[in-house]
Amino acid sequence: MSSTSQKHKEFVAEPMGEKPVMALAGIGEVLGKRLAEKGFDKAYVVLGQFLVLKKDEELFRDWLKDTCGANAKQQGDCYGCLKEWCDAFL
Amino acid sequence: MPVFVEDPAHFSKSRLKSDLVAHNVSLPPAASKKEVYVELHLKHIDQKNAADFSSDEEDQVQDALSPEDAEIPDPSGLTDDDLKAALLKRGVKAGPIVASTRALYEKKLSKLLQSDGHDQLNGAEKGVLYSDSEEEEEEENGDEADAESACTGAEEDKRETVEQSDQAQQESSQNDDFDYPQCFLPSSRLHVRASRHREPRPKWNSGNALKSSEQNWSRCTQIPAGISRASSVDQRSGLGSGLDTPVVNKCTMMNQSLYYTPKASPRERGMKLPQEPVKDTFKDLLPDAETTPTGIYATRRRPIKGAAGRPIQYAYPDTPASPTTLERREVERRLVPIHIQILVFLIVACLLYLIYVCVEDSSFVALLDSLSQGSESEEGLLVQTEAQDTLALSEQE
Repeated sequence: MSSTSQKHKEFVAEPMGEKPVMALAGIGEVLGKRLAEKGFDKAYVVLGQFLVLKKDEELFRDWLKDTCGANAKQQGDCYGCLKEWCDAFL
Repeated sequence: MPVFVEDPAHFSKSRLKSDLVAHNVSLPPAASKKEVYVELHLKHIDQKNAADFSSDEEDQVQDALSPEDAEIPDPSGLTDDDLKAALLKRGVKAGPIVASTRALYEKKLSKLLQSDGHDQLNGAEKGVLYSDSEEEEEEENGDEADAESACTGAEEDKRETVEQSDQAQQESSQNDDFDYPQCFLPSSRLHVRASRHREPRPKWNSGNALKSSEQNWSRCTQIPAGISRASSVDQRSGLGSGLDTPVVNKCTMMNQSLYYTPKASPRERGMKLPQEPVKDTFKDLLPDAETTPTGIYATRRRPIKGAAGRPIQYAYPDTPASPTTLERREVERRLVPIHIQILVFLIVACLLYLIYVCVEDSSFVALLDSLSQGSESEEGLLVQTEAQDTLALSEQE
């Protein structure tokens, strides 16, 4: 089983509600700020983008890279986090 | 319909490259500066776009578009629906194309276009991946014949492949396909299939077919001969290692299939050579192996020792003892063992019991007297004489 961070576990444990985008696994202060500047200030907005891309991993990762400059690990963490959240609550 | 006015100078180099490839423009040498790409882009692509936009007549538009239509759409010039359709054609099920997703899908399409372009050039490698499939349709037959012509050798099919290979030749600037052995020819099938959409079938019967068929025949004969020579050389050079034999097997399998088609002399030579040496070397390696119909040889793995009831062939020594246990063992060796101690105890107990019983039964006093006499003889005598004296006195009175 690959290890998931504490942040991931916390995010996936409950509905995201109004959590900020920095609550997502893989998204720290810097990336969170960049996303917020582009308008993705809440986690649910990023979720929206994730869903519009039909939960496709490659597309979502590309989008993250283009939008906030996330590296491969951060992309993977964020994707995994959102995917698991969707599996649990969507 | 939105009109995209974009300045190529703002594009990245890779974007310019992909656009050029998409419009079938030959690329400048790799180390060229961006300006060269921009110039070419402006020259070829923008001209086309200008032609498209200049008039609204369907014919002109169609003419301008039709060469590009099937394969080379410019991702940024497409509408959302067109972009979606183009992606779908390449097997990508795209989601909604919205403002935020459009850029991603355009990038994806350009990536696919690039890889398509690469397929045309490096078709040889891909061709290996595609196995022969048997489809009944005539058109399909022509395509499949690319692969099967090597194996079946029907002349008509040959002509088709030749036809298509010619087309491939014309379209792709490189002829690398044809330096490869016959088996790899089907790779051009990928691209050829699409091209069929454009050029009508009647072209089959053109005189070209016959001429080029002859060319191909000679090519056919050359290639198998080359293979047979190569394989035979390999075998003669001594295939000691097991690694070589599977490779040779593959070659010979291919060769055998190849040799059905060209009815040229090399075939007989080729057929004999690969078959015998292969079998011989393999049999030398494993004389015990039974020949299997599939040609797959497998040897039994050595069983795990000691597991699942198998005999233990290597016994491990007893578990090593710690120093304290060793000491204890030595001490115990010196002391009297416990069993013997218990035995002795029981014997002593029995003896005492017997003595007690005996003493109780017979004269206890006599025993005591005898005991006391022994120990206190003088006092006993004195007491007796006194006793006698008193008796005598008593008797006198």
